[in-house]
Amino acid sequence: MIEVNNIRKRYRLRKVLNGVSFTAEKGQITCLTGMNGAGKSTILKAIMGLTPLSGGHILIDGQPLNKLAYEKIAFIPDHLTMPLGMRLSEGLRFMDDFYANWDTGRADELMRFFRLESSDKIGNLSKGTAAKFNLVLGLAQNTDYVLMDEPFSGIDLFSRELISEVFSSHLIEDRGVLLTTHEIGDIEHLIDKAVIMDKGTIFRDFNCEEVRSEEGKSIVDIMREVYHA
Amino acid sequence: MKTGEGWEEVAFNNRDPVYLQVVRHFKEQIVTGRLAAGKVIPSRRELGALLKINPNTAQRAYKEMEERQLIVTEGNSPSRITVDENVLRAIRSELLGEAVEAFVASVRKIDVPVEELLELVKVKYSEQRSQSALPESGGNRDD
Repeated sequence: MIEVNNIRKRYRLRKVLNGVSFTAEKGQITCLTGMNGAGKSTILKAIMGLTPLSGGHILIDGQPLNKLAYEKIAFIPDHLTMPLGMRLSEGLRFMDDFYANWDTGRADELMRFFRLESSDKIGNLSKGTAAKFNLVLGLAQNTDYVLMDEPFSGIDLFSRELISEVFSSHLIEDRGVLLTTHEIGDIEHLIDKAVIMDKGTIFRDFNCEEVRSEEGKSIVDIMREVYHA
Repeated sequence: MKTGEGWEEVAFNNRDPVYLQVVRHFKEQIVTGRLAAGKVIPSRRELGALLKINPNTAQRAYKEMEERQLIVTEGNSPSRITVDENVLRAIRSELLGEAVEAFVASVRKIDVPVEELLELVKVKYSEQRSQSALPESGGNRDD
């Protein structure tokens, strides 16, 4: 379980995170959602230790952040961070060299699943194809948890469907996924838990099936209530 | 028999619990005869992939169907559709009841004597039936 406890973050005078707490369970898909600038990406960066916090703490399976914890979590940022001159095959080898938990077989499977060509240059990939390769790099690590920052943003309908398929496959099963998105409509029926954020705080976090059966509301319905839109 | 038959067409709405929509889909498949009594059904993982839903949801749907004895799982063998006539009959009358209720609810707004309504239903229904029966009878009907 990833436990985020009362974390605070400020950029100069602006409070970006103002006491945020929630949990993301293993074997579940948790979705952090909210408008642009709500602080979603900052939370993922905080979990990965990529940004210092002004307060609060984060536990992974009960342990504070440390080197070992990072072998348990993979982070898929919202853009590809590989050198543009590399071929995809070289990118995969690069990951293999740096990550003890890299799973070559799974990487090959993902490359086939997304129909990626390993001789292509990373710099020549279209935005959607780059996003798929980015997912390969994250999901081929054998980790208990995967964080994804906006995996659907700027991606065409059919690629989005292909990416959603990953979530119902064995590539994700039993792992804990924490993803951010502001386009929740596409994946409503895929996620277990939604955490709705606004201006650095959490408005509501809930189990999606429970809300559907107890209140008869979709996640978008709840978001509409939150933002009075 | 093709695998995946009848699975791709499931469109989920976002307001009803997904697991109940899955159960409902199974009931419809049973009533229409596409899932015969005693037929082996996909594993939880396969169902998740087929319907593109979260495996936890597939798991929950199967648990619900097991509790209602729609499906049976014995030991380590794959789950099957029940062969219990009573359960199958109950599903059929449940779905029929719901459909009739929905029909009545929408037709009630119009002032119509029940005899006229029944006659309309009769004509429309036999029309539809003969239409859907056509492709199956196949062959050269023109001569």
